Amino acid sequence: MPEEIRPLCPNCKMPLEKSLEELNREAARTGTAQCGACGAQFHLSDIEGGQLAIEPAVAGPASVPARQGGRNPFALVVVAIIATGMLYFGFSMSRRSGPTHPLGMAHGTPAPDFTLDSLDGQSMRLSDLRGKAVLLNFWATWCGPCKIEMPWFIELQKQYGPQGLQIVGVAMDDSSKEDIAKFAKEMGVNYPVLLGKEAVGDAYGGVPALPESFFIGRDGKIVDKIIGLKGRAEIEESIRKALDTQAGANSSAALAAPQAQN
Amino acid sequence: MSRAHKPTLICISICIFALLSGTSLAQSGKAPSVTFASVPLVTAPRTAQTMVNLNFRVASGFHINSNTPKSEFLIPTNLKMDLPTDIVLGKIKYPPGQDLSFPFSPDEALNVYTGDFTIAVAVHPLHSVVPGKYVMHGVLRFQACDNAQCFPPKNLPVSFDVKVVKEPPGPRHNPAQSPHVHN
Repeated sequence: MPEEIRPLCPNCKMPLEKSLEELNREAARTGTAQCGACGAQFHLSDIEGGQLAIEPAVAGPASVPARQGGRNPFALVVVAIIATGMLYFGFSMSRRSGPTHPLGMAHGTPAPDFTLDSLDGQSMRLSDLRGKAVLLNFWATWCGPCKIEMPWFIELQKQYGPQGLQIVGVAMDDSSKEDIAKFAKEMGVNYPVLLGKEAVGDAYGGVPALPESFFIGRDGKIVDKIIGLKGRAEIEESIRKALDTQAGANSSAALAAPQAQN
Repeated sequence: MSRAHKPTLICISICIFALLSGTSLAQSGKAPSVTFASVPLVTAPRTAQTMVNLNFRVASGFHINSNTPKSEFLIPTNLKMDLPTDIVLGKIKYPPGQDLSFPFSPDEALNVYTGDFTIAVAVHPLHSVVPGKYVMHGVLRFQACDNAQCFPPKNLPVSFDVKVVKEPPGPRHNPAQSPHVHN
């Protein structure tokens, strides 16, 4: 049995699936033949010495490189640009944080309730503050940026306390209660500082970095969130948003569930 | 699946991969990273002290406290090595930190490590150590911040190999000559 002649596809250089004879029959019938490997379509125009002279079926820029046996560089550049754009988009979307794009906790969701011990040995439950606007500030003694915010909080507590603001600090470090108390005393903190627990941090989205502040409206719902050190003006604006909320009839319920395990 | 659609699907896959990569890259970028460069095999003769340099790199945009931060409330960078039997790990030598001011601390410079820094560890195998290869393990504890936020302390595992060899032969002396005894 004579050996079949299987020409190579000029696009992908793979042997065509059909024999020369079959390709010619297909070309006579349909006018074109297709490479099974890469899908390129060709006109079969001549046979010389057992070689197929194959021309691309579709003329135009996209088909020219196929004749050269490579990928279309224009298409590759377009794909690369789109991929880079999407990479940048994904990166920038994830990097965005702050009041308008909180990570983890959405605006309008009820603030998870918790009970924690304060530095003076009292237990404090977040839902006990219902009816007040609450600035819940997660901080640590080893956090330099947190230290910058504290004098602002002290002044803001004085300024907005009469209007119903209650700032609550939650210390998220492993230092002893005495060290935290010493730090708070040195800073002159005039609002309650609670000894934080991991479960409470988890309930608020994990608190991966400090400082992190949640602004809770009088109705017990989160109205804003600030991650990292921002300006005092931004904090004040978020405080006003929290103060502007109305204490709902079910504000207690909004804060009370679920209770963070602590 | 049509073969003609294959390139389109590949392009879509690349774009989705890029989007997800960008997202995860950004999320991982939020966490500070300190990396440890692997140490080439250290040859340590018995009864001698060999200094081993451990090279670390703080990711760009972050800093960690030096071993001697200026405030008692700051967490110092600290290397703690496990103590293997018969191989004495001598003093750990920390590099001096840089005094840098940050936007959150404009008036108060902090003593920090940024970029590359090296901690040297003295390895001192005792005479009783059987020559061979030993793995030293330890942990670098650090606490990192960027210009606007700080991250909880982390522990970075550290290890390096030490090849303990016999102590080099001491200087050769001529054997003492027995005095001739003349009777």
